[in-house]
Amino acid sequence: MTRYLIRRIISVIPTLLGVTFVIFMFLRLIPGDPAIAMLGEHAAQENVERIREQLGLNRPLFLDKEALQQGDVSGFFDSQYLRFLGRLLQGDLGNSIHRRIPIADQLKLRFPATVELALLSMLIAIFVGVPVGIASAARRNSLLDSISMVGSLIGVSMPIFWLGLMEIMLFAVILQWFPSGGRLHHAIEVRAVTNLVLIDSIIAGNGEALVDALKHLALPALALATIPTAIIARMTRSSMLDVLQEDYIRTAHAKGLQERVVLFRHALKNAFLPIVTIIGLQSGSLLAGAVLTETIFAWPGIGKWVYDAILGRDYPVVQGGTLLITFIIVFINLLVDLSYVFLDPRIHYE
Amino acid sequence: MAETTPNEIGLIDFAVREYRSLWGDAWRRLISSNTARLGLAIVVLFVLSAVLAHFFWEYDPRTDLDYSLKLKPPNLRPTEEIQSIHPFGTDKLGRDTFRRVVHGGWNSLRVGVVAVGISLTIGGLLGLLAGFYENMPLGRTGRAVLFGVVGLCLGSLSAWIAGQPFQALLFCALGVAAVFLENFLAGKPIRVLLFAGVGLLLGGGLALLVSPYTAATCGILGLFIGWMVALPLGGPLVSNIIMRAMDIILAFPAYLLAIAIVAFLGPGLDKAMIAIGFVGIPLYARLVRSTVLSVIQKEYVLAAQSVGSGHARILFRHIVPNTLSSVIVQATMGLASAIIWAGALGFLGLGAIPPEPEWGAMLGDSYRFLTSGAWWAVLFPGLAIMLSVLGFNLLGDGLRDALDPRLTH
Repeated sequence: MTRYLIRRIISVIPTLLGVTFVIFMFLRLIPGDPAIAMLGEHAAQENVERIREQLGLNRPLFLDKEALQQGDVSGFFDSQYLRFLGRLLQGDLGNSIHRRIPIADQLKLRFPATVELALLSMLIAIFVGVPVGIASAARRNSLLDSISMVGSLIGVSMPIFWLGLMEIMLFAVILQWFPSGGRLHHAIEVRAVTNLVLIDSIIAGNGEALVDALKHLALPALALATIPTAIIARMTRSSMLDVLQEDYIRTAHAKGLQERVVLFRHALKNAFLPIVTIIGLQSGSLLAGAVLTETIFAWPGIGKWVYDAILGRDYPVVQGGTLLITFIIVFINLLVDLSYVFLDPRIHYE
Repeated sequence: MAETTPNEIGLIDFAVREYRSLWGDAWRRLISSNTARLGLAIVVLFVLSAVLAHFFWEYDPRTDLDYSLKLKPPNLRPTEEIQSIHPFGTDKLGRDTFRRVVHGGWNSLRVGVVAVGISLTIGGLLGLLAGFYENMPLGRTGRAVLFGVVGLCLGSLSAWIAGQPFQALLFCALGVAAVFLENFLAGKPIRVLLFAGVGLLLGGGLALLVSPYTAATCGILGLFIGWMVALPLGGPLVSNIIMRAMDIILAFPAYLLAIAIVAFLGPGLDKAMIAIGFVGIPLYARLVRSTVLSVIQKEYVLAAQSVGSGHARILFRHIVPNTLSSVIVQATMGLASAIIWAGALGFLGLGAIPPEPEWGAMLGDSYRFLTSGAWWAVLFPGLAIMLSVLGFNLLGDGLRDALDPRLTH
């Protein structure tokens, strides 16, 4: 098992290298010189050259064969890609072209916003989806089952950007219960410790801020949670139905165990593996789906930042944001795979 | 015994089962389900309206403009102020939303169909190859091609470093030679050493003409290439290369990848199709691979092999037909998500170029007017996306039940 764990962890490295390679190439293939993008069209040639030198843009892309011919081995590896990897290892993602500030610092500010939104959505999805799925499976073909399955199919079919807009219309414009965007009312200030507004306001003991932050979170979290809720409910139902057909469930019933005990102690425990998988996969797409939700609700997270950067052609930002989200998704998938080892002792790993 | 006449045969027809085809059975199961019928009805409605509108209801988005009708709410009866009927209201340029929703269907559905077509063709083929050769030895020609390509690709790195293009061809030849000399010292460690040595000489020897350091680097590369082609690698290598590439695409968040591709290619419906299609490739590759892996263990594949069928025949006569049902289900569901993605790209301004009607782009056009109360310009295009997607999802669910009766839920 230890060997399996180690092998699975090592197998992440080629994927991560592939990802950095693709993202690096993406940035280089885009037409236009980043140095000119920074300085503007009418910059003097020598300034452009200086910036290119600073950014390392005058180095070859992957390997420097001329340096090798002169016997300069370290020069051989001194290329744009390897420099990029080296900086990445130090957590340096370069600077934003437009705002000239380090991207890593911005990510630290914006990432918590996305995490807050995604985490709350995931919690909603799990705490609604799993019970609905269990109830549907337990009362198969009942009215409850039909309603929740039709509901989940509608949920899966929902374009979340449209759902978000409809929420804004109903709850923010017509009923005015919730704000239509942003993270916190501009008049309220909370000292930033973790940059997670909910936690920060609890630390500061500021009840007003907590309520306001929750109100701001409600609509985007609800929109973002729709699809994962529906998918988790469907998965839970079908996984539970599989398990409920097993002989040991009949035995448990025959022993006279309570329905609740059979469902939760005997069935759910064994039905949980596919549910965990789907929760993991959905967490990944939640982060990515945040691009749309954050754009609609003016949520200052990574998604909106990357989207604005794409429109503004600020490619280092696109690169940094995509790298971060992709790395997290790879990491989540790894965790899901590793969790099998502990969740299902029946699986044998060489 | 008396002769039986055709009439008498007619009397005992209870014993003769009426001919039923596999697909006919599936169709009967499909339309016996309420939800599948509903899905089919929705899909037919959307497809018909889009196709009919495209061919028989003239609409030129470039000239459709009437500021006097700007952002009018839906009306089903002509009034004094508005003489024309607008069941879905009008948008910011006074265009009839109903008309644009119907015409937008053509674009949205087209994106879905083409995108799924792209991912299905490429992903399906890759999945077939990966699944088939995972357990199947490659033929000699196949291996010659594979090793030739491996030699060419790795060799071109060495060729580039040394600035000697012909090195790549030599390594390619080394790879092909390794296949045709496969019985030469087979299984002995000396074989690997021999080929590695030839590689070292090829890379290092030629690069000596350039500089000693280059020669050292190319020599190491050559050693590696020689070692690789001497190994008895075959089918699993093909499968591995394909699936690792798929893993890398899958590692990217799909939305971001699609957005990034469109940002790179430039906006436009055709670019959106390519982006969405590309993002979907690994899904089909994985699905087809796993189906092939289970089909290939069936006795009929073994039987086909034992009567001497070639790989192509086994693949296309025996394996492909048996992967069809899961591919059809996935493609129907894939159409649903492709429509959502097309809408998302259009909404972000990366899909259809205005004034071309497309559901997502219409949403993106009108959502700023939501706060001023113009709900109709946002409600109806989004409803169209949701309903059509729901239709394809219902149909896909029904198809899954119909095509695989063993599944009970």
